[in-house]
Amino acid sequence: MPRTTLDREIHHLQDEVLLLGSMVEQAMVDAVDALKRRDQEAARRVYHNDHLINEKRFAIENATLITIATQQPMAHDLRFLAAILEVDIELERMGDYAKGIARIVISLKDAAIQVPIKEFSQMAELAVGMLHRALSAFVTEDSNLAQSIPPEDDQVDALFNSTYRVLVTSMIANPELIDHSNLLLWVNHNLERMADRVVNICERTIFIATGELMEIETSEEEDVL
Amino acid sequence: MDSNQAKPSLELTHEKPKGVPVLVSFSKHDQTELQSADIKIETVNLAVFYGKFRALSDINISIPEKRITAIIGPSGCGKSTLLRSFNRMNDLVPRSHIEGEIRLDGENIFAMGIDVVNVRRRIGMVFQRPNPFPMSIFENVAYGPHLYGIRNHRVLQEIVEKSLHQAALWDEVKDKLNNSGMALSGGQQQRLCIARALAVEPEVILMDEPASALDPVSTLKIEDLMQSLKTNYTIVIVTHNMQQAARVSDFTAFMMIDSNRAGKMVEFGPTAHIFTNPKNKQTEDYVTGRFG
Repeated sequence: MPRTTLDREIHHLQDEVLLLGSMVEQAMVDAVDALKRRDQEAARRVYHNDHLINEKRFAIENATLITIATQQPMAHDLRFLAAILEVDIELERMGDYAKGIARIVISLKDAAIQVPIKEFSQMAELAVGMLHRALSAFVTEDSNLAQSIPPEDDQVDALFNSTYRVLVTSMIANPELIDHSNLLLWVNHNLERMADRVVNICERTIFIATGELMEIETSEEEDVL
Repeated sequence: MDSNQAKPSLELTHEKPKGVPVLVSFSKHDQTELQSADIKIETVNLAVFYGKFRALSDINISIPEKRITAIIGPSGCGKSTLLRSFNRMNDLVPRSHIEGEIRLDGENIFAMGIDVVNVRRRIGMVFQRPNPFPMSIFENVAYGPHLYGIRNHRVLQEIVEKSLHQAALWDEVKDKLNNSGMALSGGQQQRLCIARALAVEPEVILMDEPASALDPVSTLKIEDLMQSLKTNYTIVIVTHNMQQAARVSDFTAFMMIDSNRAGKMVEFGPTAHIFTNPKNKQTEDYVTGRFG
């Protein structure tokens, strides 16, 4: 016997999570692109549009709570809805990272500073790609796909480490650039954290599929610390 | 076997293989709680027959002492039959018989020489519809002890007060103990029936849908009462209401009928586990409401 109403609400929430995910992906791509082109206008758009991501996050949270209250889900359904509440937060925070990068673009204005844009673009591309597949795994409850994504975080961490060293070296060599270089350290941080949060989404997918609350430890974790 | 053959290293290493995520589980598996609890009632390959009809088949379940165990399952799966077997109420059904064993504190209650009346004193029962006797509140509760030979009025008074306290009814009826039990509200009547069951100092209380005829507030009172009673009593509850089973019980048993329409035990485990991550597909379908 299908549960038509509950199934319909769950499908709707899956669509909404995918939609929120695509908004976050677009915000991050646009933020790094604005940094690359030092485009103040584009950065302002990302900065201001963050509220749309926040609103979507709260709408999903609200709809999830209503489904839990009215449908009394159990077992797999309950795990899925509980996971949505977590994934919802992860996505909103990723949106904040994009907003943070946009804000840095606005702060940098046209300051004469070398931006390691190749590395940043690469990190963004990796993190956005991971997020896209992690959300596919999430809505299809594909535990194998979810487990295949976290190792890619190592590549993002490696880029984070090398870029960190480059930026710190440049700060030592050019103390007058410390303020601006510090902002770039934050860009580096935001991109690295985005990939970490993708790993959290993968953990939730494993939870839905298996019922196991898992922490995925990637090999570079200690190096970053 | 070639001793030089490469073997997997058993030495602990802090180096994690690159690119391979390590999964660390934080799930709590409370099966240990089941293993550590003392067993009050145990069935061994239990089958119950009504004439030639096999109503229950091959039931093996261990009911932990001083815990609440819920039995859930679709209509006709044998939940009530199993519950009524625990204190030999099924003996009263003509042409019924059992195979296998039911052990109370390790002793087979169907063995020769067992006093059925004593079994039913040790294992009390509360039914779906409140069924107070057509007599006063006091007499309802004193009825059992009186039947077992207690005649001293002062002792009976103490038993009645203690039982009504335990059933969380004392404050509501202490000034009208001589009023008819039938004049109480449905929820109060059910608590009176629980007080009546407690008056003979049972060890186990069987509850067959004890709140299905009650309003939500009375239902929650019964559920709270069950929580306070489990410190002293082993409770087994049959309920159609899955949310109730999830709310009140420590352990849950899920039953279904097999292809011969006999009731069977599908899964038994800690309630938290049955309702968040059941192991059996049929249990999953039932608790998520996708059964049938």
